[in-house]
Amino acid sequence: MSATIQTGALGRSADAPRPRALLFDRRRRRNAYAAYLFLAPGFLLFALVILYPIARAFQISLYEWSIVPGATSRFLGLENYDRALHDPVFWRSLGNTGFYMAVTVPTQIVLGLAAAVLLDARMPARGLFRALYYLPVITSWVVVSLLFRYLFMTDGGLVNWVLHDGLHVIDHNVQWLGSRWTAMTAISVLGIWKGVGWSMVIFLAALQGVPRELYEAAAVDGAGSWRSFRGITLPTLLPVVAFVTVMLVIGGFNVFISVFLITNGGPLDQTQVLLTYMYRQAFSFLDFGYGSALSFTLTLIVFALSLAQLRIFARRGAA
Amino acid sequence: MRLARLALLTALVTSVSVFAVTAATAGAGRAGGTTTITFWHAYAENASAPEMQRLTKIVIPRFEKLNPGIKVEQVPFSYSSLQQKLTTSVAGGTLPDVIRADLAWVPQYAKLGAFAKLDQAMPDFQKLAKAVYPGSLATNYYKGHYYGLPLDTNTRVLMYNKDALASAGITSPPTTFDALRAAAPKLKAKGIYLFADGGTGGWNVLPWIWSGGGSLTNKTFTRATGYLNSAKSVAAVQLLVDLYKEGAIPSLITGDAGATGTEDGLATGKYATILDGPWMFPIFRKAYPNFKLQTALVPKGPGGSVSVVGGEDIVMSQSSKKKAAAEQFIRFMLSPWTQTEMAHAGQMPVRADVSKQLTKINSYFGIFAQQLKVARPRTPSPNWPQIDTVLGKAVASAIQGNESTKAALDDAARQIDQLLAG
Repeated sequence: MSATIQTGALGRSADAPRPRALLFDRRRRRNAYAAYLFLAPGFLLFALVILYPIARAFQISLYEWSIVPGATSRFLGLENYDRALHDPVFWRSLGNTGFYMAVTVPTQIVLGLAAAVLLDARMPARGLFRALYYLPVITSWVVVSLLFRYLFMTDGGLVNWVLHDGLHVIDHNVQWLGSRWTAMTAISVLGIWKGVGWSMVIFLAALQGVPRELYEAAAVDGAGSWRSFRGITLPTLLPVVAFVTVMLVIGGFNVFISVFLITNGGPLDQTQVLLTYMYRQAFSFLDFGYGSALSFTLTLIVFALSLAQLRIFARRGAA
Repeated sequence: MRLARLALLTALVTSVSVFAVTAATAGAGRAGGTTTITFWHAYAENASAPEMQRLTKIVIPRFEKLNPGIKVEQVPFSYSSLQQKLTTSVAGGTLPDVIRADLAWVPQYAKLGAFAKLDQAMPDFQKLAKAVYPGSLATNYYKGHYYGLPLDTNTRVLMYNKDALASAGITSPPTTFDALRAAAPKLKAKGIYLFADGGTGGWNVLPWIWSGGGSLTNKTFTRATGYLNSAKSVAAVQLLVDLYKEGAIPSLITGDAGATGTEDGLATGKYATILDGPWMFPIFRKAYPNFKLQTALVPKGPGGSVSVVGGEDIVMSQSSKKKAAAEQFIRFMLSPWTQTEMAHAGQMPVRADVSKQLTKINSYFGIFAQQLKVARPRTPSPNWPQIDTVLGKAVASAIQGNESTKAALDDAARQIDQLLAG
């Protein structure tokens, strides 16, 4: 919020040429110069590893691209994008990516917030529990993906064993990874398990910033814990919820390793997500033009979604 | 505002020049007294694996002794990362001198111009080509030229669990399509799957299609319509569809990542038969030392018992600056001595003159040598990965009952026609 006010003031100062303001303006420019200088290394890195690849990916997406240096590539214009719009597997991967996001993002926020509030209270072994919840975040995606694949095996998998032999809630072993929605569910469960710790830590940090006096005042006024949570904790945490949401949505759209290692898009491309499908086109079929068109489309979607979310949260005075 | 633009410009210019510098250093070659050639392969990542032991302790030292002035730097990769590495190296212009490539990759990279035309580069190419199996040699062919030579070969045969069959009262392995159909209900009654496979791509289903008397394309690999959807091809795929519907084939075949793998299933008696290659012997010996693996030829259909040729080719990169040394190494790798050496580590030789003593080296090589006589290569095409995917999806779709076998293969043949033309 404060950043928006400042830029607004800077824009207005130009059409008010009073002597004091001019002096102020010059100093401000010198400050700006220093700021740009300090920003330069970061920007350079950003340009090199983000901007350049994005521009390059867009260029490649317009061609039937040959990866050999010096070879000529055939210009296709927007044909690769048109192909994506008519590709049923592209739409299915978009749907699967959307499903993954819709399932994992809200769950991670709710569970993360719940864990944070619980572990913010004074209790024995608090540090231990915090570490335990955070542990999945720092484990390798590769290791836990393989682990989940074994957990969800049809015969001999722990999940089926518990449901069938342990709890007797199913009468035959479920083929979790054998069809679209059950496999996507298994992959989403992994995403949630692995991500809750991250949102918990962010919320925990934010909770430290909530003034204790507010709770005390609320308690004096007779508010219960749920009332305090709704009236104090939640509103104060709203900007953090916004941040976590934006980050999780971006992360959700970029789901790759777990799908790649658990189902690799199978069976019959039923569980392809945007990135695994892009990867197959580019690195298995060496169709880098189409692969780039897919990844550029993904970039546009994520960009538009992030922008929309920031707008929504800004309007509600949260960002 | 002007300063802002200036800063932006500086940033951009600096980033561009940094890029140019890194590109220049990457392009610079290495200097040295002896010629060092680089050899990329995926024999095994584990240095203690028998292939690695033979290669690094015996084969390469002997080559270096026989060819003073040439050093070989071998770099092992895992199978999947080697292909990825090849792709990025083609784009970056940093391919090694010699590569042991899966035979299915050769046309794909030859089309990109990444590999040298060995039939033009090596004066003694014809002599070497005549010494190897024609089926393996064919995998190096792309648009009028040979881009490599076969290095090792293999094929799939029927592997079975004798006890699993016996428990259903079956005393000999199914040797024909009819025997398979007859065995299915008996095994099912005992809760055993008749046959399991991990996919429906060419490697998996071509033995069935060929043994059924069908084919994927015409002889010149230009057309699939009329071949993949011919009555015989359809009938062969229908065998798999019927067996799946009867519950004689597990969902592993349609890509169910949660199903039990073929080796675990076979060794534990869950699956009675699978099709697989010679590398499975060491794997079974290690994971299931008490399991006695039995083999037979691919079950016979109207087209006989036909299997699919697998293996690796050896190629030289077009960008290699040390082609003479690289060719010398390729020659050495194809010599009877090296082929015999590597056979001890489980690599089946491609030289017909070496294959005679194969069973003396490894008793289980016999069945594979016999099957190789009637094994065919997959379609050599730069679009093979796409063709493979189309075929795999069509067969899986028919197996799952989404469409009739004929309709699925009609549609796949149409798509493959386009891929063969491209």
